[in-house]
Amino acid sequence: MNILIPHSWLLEHLDTAATPAQIAQNISLCGPSVERVSEVEDDSVYDIEVTTNRVDSMSVRGIAREVAVILPQFGIEAQLKPQHLSRYQDLAQAETQLPLPTIHLNQYLVKRVTCVVLANVQRTQTPDWMARRLRQVGMNIHDSVIDITNYITHELGHPCHAFDYDRLMALGGEIIIKEAGAGQTFMTLDGVEFTTVGGEVVFENQAGEIIDLPSIKGTANTSINAETKNVLLFSENTVAEKVRFASMTHAIRTVAAQLEEKNVDPELATDILQRGTELYVHLCGAQIASPVYDEFPVRREPQQIQLSVDTVAAYLGLELPRAIISTFLENIGCEVELHEEMLLVTPPSFRRDLELPVDLIEEIARLYGYHNLPSVLMPTAIPLTPQPDVNFSLEQSLKSFLAHIGWQEVYCYSMVSAEIATQSGFKLEEHLKITNPLADDRVYLRRSLLPSLIEVLGQNPQVSPLSIFEMATVYLPQPTSIPVHELHLSGVVTGRSYRQLRGELEALLQQLFITDFDIEPVEQPLVNYLQSAQILARKGEELCTLGTIGVLTTGQVAVDILLSELSKAAATHPRYHPLPKTAAIVEDLTFTLPEHTALGPILNLIKNTASSVTNISVVSQYEQNFTLRLTYWEETHTLSNEEIEPIRRQIVATVEQLFRAQLVGQV
Amino acid sequence: MTIEELSQRIEHLKKELATDLATGTEVKTKYLGKRGLFNELAQVLRQLDPGDRRAAGQQLNELKVFLESTVATAASKNAIDHQWVDLTMPGIDPKVGHLHPVSQAMAEITSIFERVGFTRVRYPEVDWDWYVFEALNMPPSHPARDEWETFFVDGQVSDDKGRLVLTTHTSNGQVREMERLEHQPPIRMINMSRCYRRQQDATHTQMFHQFEGLVVDKGINIQHLKGTLDYFAQEFYGPGTKSRIRPFHFQFTEPSFEVDFSCHLCAGTGIIRAKNGQESKCKFCKSGWHEVGGAGMVHPNVLKAGGIDPSVYTGFAFGWGVERTYTLKEGLNIDDIRLLYANDIRFLKQF
Repeated sequence: MNILIPHSWLLEHLDTAATPAQIAQNISLCGPSVERVSEVEDDSVYDIEVTTNRVDSMSVRGIAREVAVILPQFGIEAQLKPQHLSRYQDLAQAETQLPLPTIHLNQYLVKRVTCVVLANVQRTQTPDWMARRLRQVGMNIHDSVIDITNYITHELGHPCHAFDYDRLMALGGEIIIKEAGAGQTFMTLDGVEFTTVGGEVVFENQAGEIIDLPSIKGTANTSINAETKNVLLFSENTVAEKVRFASMTHAIRTVAAQLEEKNVDPELATDILQRGTELYVHLCGAQIASPVYDEFPVRREPQQIQLSVDTVAAYLGLELPRAIISTFLENIGCEVELHEEMLLVTPPSFRRDLELPVDLIEEIARLYGYHNLPSVLMPTAIPLTPQPDVNFSLEQSLKSFLAHIGWQEVYCYSMVSAEIATQSGFKLEEHLKITNPLADDRVYLRRSLLPSLIEVLGQNPQVSPLSIFEMATVYLPQPTSIPVHELHLSGVVTGRSYRQLRGELEALLQQLFITDFDIEPVEQPLVNYLQSAQILARKGEELCTLGTIGVLTTGQVAVDILLSELSKAAATHPRYHPLPKTAAIVEDLTFTLPEHTALGPILNLIKNTASSVTNISVVSQYEQNFTLRLTYWEETHTLSNEEIEPIRRQIVATVEQLFRAQLVGQV
Repeated sequence: MTIEELSQRIEHLKKELATDLATGTEVKTKYLGKRGLFNELAQVLRQLDPGDRRAAGQQLNELKVFLESTVATAASKNAIDHQWVDLTMPGIDPKVGHLHPVSQAMAEITSIFERVGFTRVRYPEVDWDWYVFEALNMPPSHPARDEWETFFVDGQVSDDKGRLVLTTHTSNGQVREMERLEHQPPIRMINMSRCYRRQQDATHTQMFHQFEGLVVDKGINIQHLKGTLDYFAQEFYGPGTKSRIRPFHFQFTEPSFEVDFSCHLCAGTGIIRAKNGQESKCKFCKSGWHEVGGAGMVHPNVLKAGGIDPSVYTGFAFGWGVERTYTLKEGLNIDDIRLLYANDIRFLKQF
């Protein structure tokens, strides 16, 4: 929550010679954060962020109280001015008293109600000094009768409401405080209609008509209008949870609701009513026409907190004298009893946020000044308890490797449109769906990274060739637990061939010392693929299915790897092979193959013909002629032509026989 | 002349050639030309005793082969040496890709914290309300929840852990880490992952990344948090960068802080002093400091939710956006963080 405070208004509650710049800088270090100071109508206006636990600071007086405590910590004199409010008996009284409405209080819904009838209210123009301040804090100007309530709420920090007294009495003169049933309709004072869902705290008359939405907004049937003569100035304090429920349900986020839902101090209602009455009398010529009604059945008992001096030292890392601790707490309005090693602290009613010893420690520490505490690294034990199922260094080295060989890393949104979601091959209902998406294209949580990557390539048509990858989690819905989070490394390539992609995949696997792997085409390609193959790796006895590589229906080639499997197959170091002492014989063989012959099985066959065939690679392809390069090698001696010849013959014969191939040339 | 003298002159000639610095063609003319040194020496044959001529002829033949091969090697080597290369030609680019800036930032952050004993962990990005809010001292419908613009997942509700939400921060890792370590400190973790909030503008994307530090042990106090923040500031932004903590409020820490780092351009003063002594307002920061995120001492209720006794252990936590932290780097100049997730290659290849 932010609040705007004009400097001159602040000085009505605060005695100090500090400049706005000094105030802004110093209170930000020890209290609410002054986000900026603007010059508005010849005055400095502070824009202050007040945290949700400090509703007591959501007013001019609340900020003045903070400033008065903080400035002296910086050696600048400051004091909160006492509040001088006119006593009711000293203000103008009406000749004829008017009856108060009958109020049926439900203390479980509303903690306090206080009100007074003000007669013969004149519709005067808002005086300049008040209008200027309201403009400075960004409020609209109406006339005095309406603006007074806004003004005093901003000044003192408790909401209040001005009813049209005569309209309220015409509706029966009764205020029944209750929880609404479902389906009741009401219209707020700005003319918007609402229907209750049930459970909202409302004011009803005897006829069951809603006549106010307390602590949130007035209703049209009882609010001030052009004919208003008499005002019922009213301040209620409603149970915070109830206010929040109704305010959030109907999205009516008024200042009143935001104060009341944060447990604003009901004690403040006394001052609000008195200050309001004073202003109505002075500015609108109003006369007090009733006794002050005040129903406050259950006051909150002051809560005592035991604070041990050792605990303070444990949090601050240094020992403060008890007297200093005690002074800090008294300065913020606490009562402090000093005992041996311990303080009994009673916070003021407006500091409901102070409940635990740590809450008091925060007050002590901030007033002592966080900037005054030393800065040291912890000397405690270093835990050696890594998560077993993650391998961040592997992830990082994979990413770096791909980047180094020319791939661009991208980060795509995890939430995708219905269209992109179904491109994963999973049905929409097999995706997690966001209940309250921000945009139509970010509704479903991805099951696959590929559709996002294809989309990115489409968005960068000017760049080709282009290889992009992403490492991210996909989310698999589960019936009763949180979704399974699967970390994938996926890449899509445009303008480059399958063989280039595959070569890079193989190099990547070799980086992880995965040498025993196969790429096996599957009969039925996966969704999105024209052709796909499984990437399989063996580590000892274990067979790991690392993922998929293939040609997409878009014509691009892609790879998708499951990190958990890859991590299982990976090794941290290779197994060393002794350097060869004998020479290898290398020769090329060219075969003519029928169309659509898969080369992989031929290469496997050749390699398995004899143990002397240690390597085989594809040198070139011209139409259906494939030139293969074979390496023959034996550890014990350099092979002679006589030894190689039978192997060569066998290879040629088998390949020709099994694959309807033809050797180009003679054996 | 005797055959012994001839042998000596042959050796002498070989040495001369070995140390000759002349170019290929010059060497050839000098040793093997018509009036070259070899022919000159060969004249000696006639002066020798006829009995020695056969042996001398052999020696001279060997010398000629030696000279020819040596000169040929030298000639070919020199020829390559002398192919002129235009040293002013631009280079041919190797094909190099780029890590996404968020990956680069996370790697740097990880290594900075690992050096002081933090262990990196990973926790769910779609998690129960209980870990994201309730265990963090935020009961359902608490007003503090308004600060997190939360995405909810359709359907699934757990009896004891509430709704399924997209994590709005990495703080769900706090109680999860306490559970993983079976409620036994020490804890010194750094949790990094994707987070999601329902907001999108120049400084917010509905998906972003956070890193969360959590330290729990006996005797951990605010000074240790300050020490950790100062250390990170120096390592990440460079020597001289300072951190500052100011009062704030989070339900899951008490005391709670807002963390600022000093601006490296104006050294935390908000004022740039030019060489001529002229002073101007620093345009990079507002007041000498950059707000990076939240921190605090772990709230006793959070320790309790994680099964750790708050009367024995204390701890601190901090959590900041990776993007925000990264974009504050000097001279980076990214003014719209949505660029990070727009995946325009022209942007990404700059990193």
